[in-house]
Amino acid sequence: MAQTRSGSKLLWDLIAYAVLILLALVCVFPIIWTFLTSIKVEEDIVTRNMIYIPTRFTFDWYVRLWNQSGYPVLVMNSLITTSVTVLICLLTGTIASYSFSRFNFAGRTQLMLGYLVVRMFPAVLMIIPLFMVMRNFGLLDSSVGLAVAYTSFLLPLFVWMLKGFFDAAPKELESAARIDGSTRIGAMFRIVIPIARNGLVATCVFVAIAAWNEYLFALMLTTSQGSRTWPVGLQLMVGEFQLPWGMLAAGGIISIIPVIVLFALVQRVMVAGITAGAVKG
Amino acid sequence: MSRVNAASPPPRSVWDSLNPVRLIGELSETRYWMYLLLLPSALLITAVVLYPTVYGMQMSFTEMRLNRPAGNGAFVAFKHYQRMLTDPIFWVSLRNTAVWVTSSIALEFLVGLVAALALNRNLPGTKVLAVLILVPYFLPNVVAGHMWALMLDPRLGVINDVLVRIGWLEAYKAWFADPTTAMGAAIVVEVWHSFPFFTLLIMAGLKGIPSDLYKAADIDGAGPFAQLRLITLPMLKTIIAAAVILRVIGLVNSPDLLLILTSGGPGRSTQVLSLYAFQMAYKDFNFGYAGALSVVMFILLMGFAYIYIRLSKVNQD
Repeated sequence: MAQTRSGSKLLWDLIAYAVLILLALVCVFPIIWTFLTSIKVEEDIVTRNMIYIPTRFTFDWYVRLWNQSGYPVLVMNSLITTSVTVLICLLTGTIASYSFSRFNFAGRTQLMLGYLVVRMFPAVLMIIPLFMVMRNFGLLDSSVGLAVAYTSFLLPLFVWMLKGFFDAAPKELESAARIDGSTRIGAMFRIVIPIARNGLVATCVFVAIAAWNEYLFALMLTTSQGSRTWPVGLQLMVGEFQLPWGMLAAGGIISIIPVIVLFALVQRVMVAGITAGAVKG
Repeated sequence: MSRVNAASPPPRSVWDSLNPVRLIGELSETRYWMYLLLLPSALLITAVVLYPTVYGMQMSFTEMRLNRPAGNGAFVAFKHYQRMLTDPIFWVSLRNTAVWVTSSIALEFLVGLVAALALNRNLPGTKVLAVLILVPYFLPNVVAGHMWALMLDPRLGVINDVLVRIGWLEAYKAWFADPTTAMGAAIVVEVWHSFPFFTLLIMAGLKGIPSDLYKAADIDGAGPFAQLRLITLPMLKTIIAAAVILRVIGLVNSPDLLLILTSGGPGRSTQVLSLYAFQMAYKDFNFGYAGALSVVMFILLMGFAYIYIRLSKVNQD
């Protein structure tokens, strides 16, 4: 009996390994293939016989994309928009999240639910009026305007995720500081935020990745090179100049490098944060 | 006045009463502090979410065309909603949305569940695999779309090449140009992109199931499939419900991936509601009708969420 059970455990372990290795391959293969395409020469991409492992390499696609297409400007715009988005979330979201985590007050549950429900509003329904409002305020086609628009779906996410990390920070240290005469805000900045530092960083990274990747709002709310972000720019290049595959692949790889680096750096804390928020929510 | 000051231990100088740090410190001791902390974010969300949404709903009852300024803003009551009833594209989009959302989510759930169950065995070396499996979820739609467009390309797509080599295909196929395969191909891309979301949430849920339950089931002689059906899935019910709702909201609301892959074509074979509303606004500049389409989408979504939560609660009792 015991033997068959350990035998079947071994069998299931093997199946688990097989499934995970297969899935990991499926998940990573498109990225590897895109990278390979970005370092192949044109004749090796457009060919009758598929070349799986190239023997000739070139960084020409990267050089051409960087020098000819205005891609640096697009990346710069995305960086600015992403930074401003994270900054707005940090300034307004951190204190809101702290309030939800530490205080019990009338309307707390309803307000928290409200922060969740706003995510149900269709993006298209918001984008059209946002377009008109921003035009009136002169925020259309500006990095700041786009960042403000991003907070519509990223700020609620930021507040909910960060709340999980604040909840996990022990309350005793805070009480001790309060007894020693610290004000509430003093305790918040000197005790709670430093304890939840890793969570705060992970939450910021999550929001930064989402802002960096965003396409639809950027497509509607930016109209010129002055504030256009890289996803919109790349997509426009595909439509306008029949972008060669090598260059498109190079653009994709350049754009996802920051995402993958950031994800790798904070994935452990970030995964914990997403799941903690979800378990409670 | 001076007597009152003398009574409180630290005597206030003029600078002290203006010192912003001190003022905020004192403010933080009042009983409105928690509301003050919420004020900035609540104002911001009101400005960028609630106000535009209400404005958009109101717009759906007016004539609003950017390319035809005459008569803009005129109240037209339910004209746009009536038009929807006889608009064949609306009905096609509605049906496609149902197919797109249900197939994608069913597959994402299945793959996500299998991955989470396998990862939950905590076998040595699987931590790295977990990271690799989660990566697609964090990639931008634009890049995910083009990666797959490259692999499925009718002339130089690697997937075509592999399928021909192993004999599943006679010749290279233009997956996104054929109305019978475009939706299926798009669903494959979407599942690849978003199944890690289910893996993430289900993994978190699995950690919360007490291992005693499985030990007891082992003693009773329940096999792995019986344990999955009788313990794991019922214990995960809440988290699965939450994951499904969040995914449905995401999929119904955002046309991004289909916009990049197919723009709704060929024909109308991948036209979904969010994409139709988006094109109505972005291409035809008919903001009134686009608003009405979005409102209908929102109402359907709310209705779905309500019924779904009711059903999953009823099952729990």
